[in-house]
Order: sequence, then C-alpha cells, then structure tokens
Amino acid sequence: MITVSGLTKDYGGRRVVDEVSFELEPGTVTGFLGPNGAGKSTTMRMVTGLVPASSGTALVAGRPYTSLPNPGAVMGTLLDAAAVHPGRTGRTHLRLLASTIGVPAPRVDEVLEMVDLTAAGGRRIGGYSLGMRQRLGIAAALLADPPVLMFDEPANGLDPEGIRWMRDLLRGHAARGGTVLLSSHLLGEVEHTVDRLLVIGSGRIVADGPIHELLAGDGTAVRPADAASFEPALRAAGLEVQHRDGGVLVVPGASPDRIGALAAAGGHALVDLRPSEQGLEELFFQLTDAS
Amino acid sequence: MSTTTAPATATAVVPAPASTARRTGPSFPALTGLEVRKSLSTRSGRSVAALAVLVGPLGVLLATTTSGGAVAAAMALGIMGMLIALVLLALGVLSTAGEWTHRSVQTTYLLVPRRGRVLAAKAAAMALLGLVLASVGVGLAVGALALFTTGVTWFAAGQAVAAVIASGAAFTVIGAGIGAAVGNSAAALTGTYLTVLGILPVLNSVEPEIAARLDPAGAVVTLAQHGAATTPIAVIAGWVVVSTVTGVLVTRRRSVA
Repeated sequence: MITVSGLTKDYGGRRVVDEVSFELEPGTVTGFLGPNGAGKSTTMRMVTGLVPASSGTALVAGRPYTSLPNPGAVMGTLLDAAAVHPGRTGRTHLRLLASTIGVPAPRVDEVLEMVDLTAAGGRRIGGYSLGMRQRLGIAAALLADPPVLMFDEPANGLDPEGIRWMRDLLRGHAARGGTVLLSSHLLGEVEHTVDRLLVIGSGRIVADGPIHELLAGDGTAVRPADAASFEPALRAAGLEVQHRDGGVLVVPGASPDRIGALAAAGGHALVDLRPSEQGLEELFFQLTDAS
Repeated sequence: MSTTTAPATATAVVPAPASTARRTGPSFPALTGLEVRKSLSTRSGRSVAALAVLVGPLGVLLATTTSGGAVAAAMALGIMGMLIALVLLALGVLSTAGEWTHRSVQTTYLLVPRRGRVLAAKAAAMALLGLVLASVGVGLAVGALALFTTGVTWFAAGQAVAAVIASGAAFTVIGAGIGAAVGNSAAALTGTYLTVLGILPVLNSVEPEIAARLDPAGAVVTLAQHGAATTPIAVIAGWVVVSTVTGVLVTRRRSVA
C-alpha cells in the first residue's frame, strides 16, 4: 500500500534523507524508528507530497499521494497534532475536514466519541492539552476510515490509557487488512504494537524486517538452578558466558539444543532455556549509533 | 535485515474507503464554499468581517459629527470604500497566511494536495466574501449618509457604490495573494499596511505621478469619485495579478514543515 523507492532529500547541500526504500503491505503495523533528525518526519512528509523529494518516488495505493483523487479517504495522516487553528472548536475543525473528504456530518460525532472528545468538541482547540490535540488529530485521520494510516509520534501527550487505546486501534486496523506506519520515540510501546520495524539513522534505512527477527539474538539464554556450577561447564566446552539479571546466563553463538545437551550430560537442572533476545532499546542504540 | 526495493511498476488499485467518503475530491464550488466557511469559523475572521461591514457607516457618522454635513456622497463613499477595502485586505491575508502561521496549511494540503486549486478556491472565496461584505458595508454607509448627514450631494453616488464593491472584492483577493506569498500573518499585514499607508503616501508627496500608478488605496478613492478610469483600474488590477501570481508561485514551491 505504501511503496517508497530511493527517496532522497537534500537541504542546501546537506542530505537529510538518503535513498530510503521500503514497501508496506496491508495487514501490518510498521514501526518507523530513528533518533531526532534521522529523517523520519521528512520521509513521511515526502510520502504525502508536503515536502518535495529531491529524487525517488513514493506511492500510496499505487499512485503518488498528490495524484490520489481524494487522498484523505485513502490515507489518514497525523504528522503534527499542533497544526490546527486554535480558534476553531474541535467539532468545527472536524466538520470542515469531513466536508473536504466528503464524509457525512454524523461521522464527526462518531470519531469524537471514538477518541473520547465528545464533551470537549464544542471547545476551542487553543484550550486543548497536547493529549487532546493528539486525539483530535487521530479522529481527523479516522474520518473516512481509510485503509492506510500514517502517524508521526501519535503517543506524545497521551496517558497510559490513551496509549493502550491507540495500540488496540492500530492493531485492530491492521487485523482488518489495513496498513499502518507509525513513528514513535516510545520504544516499549512500539515493541508491543508493531509487526515490523524500519530503523533510520542519519537519513538511511539501517534495519528493515519483522520485529521478532530483528530482536532475535544469536545465542541462548539459560537459567540454571545452580549457575555457579553450570558456568564452568559451559566455559569448559569453549563457550563464552555473559551474565544477565535474575541468574540468567547468555551464551552467544550456541543453540538451545547444545546448551540443553551440555546441561543433561553434566546433570545440571535448568529453570529456563530459550533463544536469547535483545531488547528494542538495545537494538535501537546498536543500529543508530553505528549509522 | 532486508530493505525491500520498490517494484518498477505499481499495479495497485486505489482502494475504496470503508466509509461512505467520496471517491473524488471536492468540486471547485464546494472547495470555494469550504474556504468561505473556514474564514468565518474563527473569531479573528468574524471580527474582521464585522469590522469591514461597520467601518463604512461608523466613518460616516464620525465625519458627520465632526464636520456637520454638506458633503459629496461620491467623495465620502470613496473614502469609506478605501477603509472597507483595507479591512478586507486583512481578511484575505488571514485566509492564506493564517494557515501557514497556525500550520493548519498541513491539513489543507494533505486533503487537497493540488495547491494551485486550493489557492484558486481561496481567491474565489475571498472575492465572494469581499463582494458581499463590501456591498453590506457600503449599503450601510449610504444609509448612514441618508439618515444622519444633512446637505449630501448624491451626484455620481451610484458609480461610487459600484467602485467600492468592486474594490472590496479586489482587495480581499490581493490580501489572499500577499498572505500566500509571505506565509506569515503578522509580517504580511505589517508589510502591506506599511507600504500602502506609509511608503506610498510619502512617495505621493514627492513623486505624485509615480504614486498614482502604484497606490491601490488612492485608486479606490479616485474610482469612486471619477468613475471608471484606466489608471486606477490598472493599479488595482496590477496588485491583484502580481500578488496572486506571486502567492501561487511561492506556495507551490514551499515545503510544509
């Protein structure tokens, strides 16, 4: 549904997005991660045509976004929750958008209820908190119930309940065959929401793949009943051993089968044995520090 | 880790939205109507519109109180028309520059990415609003003259009314063009009023012939008093064309941050 190919942006001789390519399929939630200034927002703006690309193409549902007959009905976009006129009420703002997209007026009240802003709909947006503006932006993106959603930092300002609601919304959208691209600084939230990760560093894609594959480590995490006696056995077998919290030993480069066999041969009882995984935060810094 | 390269040709078909949203964008008349609604949906927009309607009759009442009457309607309406036009210029500026200032332009161009089309609709909406508000404003000014001012000479009042209405529409469009070009309400308003009310009157005092070919506010008064003349029409038309073309060119190239 979103196909980006060789997207590049230069600002005054400085390359901020460099040959970014990816393809997002229906039924998936993709997390778009990167440090500040890595090019996430610029890439999203180029996809929508708000920022012209220096080179490369971005297609949404097979066409450049700017060529879609009614783009708001194809892709719901939240790039900046503060980009609204503070003098309008939330309801008026949504009604104007609904008229532009061609959505019946009652839909405005439906989406206001979905984001729990019914009571605040008649108030001027200038009096909204950041979280309320985020929810208003999400409501605007959902007006036409579009098949594609692209959200830039949607969790900013949301309380834990709001974040959980948004996670369920995005997962539900993907479960119904929708496509979601989500950027966020909340790594824990991303880890629990997305199927796939795109990591961008210094304007280039440095990782792209299913989240379980990216987080899978090359090794085994084992928790023996008696770590003090099992660790020498592992070292005697020529294996490197790293210590983790909770008495867990991580053995890089060894499969769970081999560790299990070693434990059985030495008569060591094991409480837990599984392939090792790294945390998203660890992966994030590993990838973005290197870029 | 794998980075998927996009296929050379895209075959996807634009999917139908799940709701009852239109498959096509808004028609031009609908877009124009939306821009009218946008302008009148904020307190600043409504305040400027109200001021544009009231400045004419209030000016007449003030002039009557201080001068005592015996005025030529064409001259009084010309001056009031200039005030109406200068207020309507602000309405036009807010319609375009206001969106850049508040960044709501992002939503506008996300939903209708063809910027030239949006600006054309804004220009049409501003012309319509300017026409209506200037008509009401000059109508009230005529009423105030008739009711409260004594010794009014009504010669050529009809052409003055027509000039005020046309100028009101033109100045609103000029404001929209300047706002689109500058992209910042405060800068656009300050710069324009400084030029029209500061620089051009100074120029008029030293080079009146050159000022007459540049000053749009003076052109409104001239039109109202003397009827359709080539120079004032050309001056106002020039401001409309230059501001609108500049606004379109700059807006089409500007990134939306």
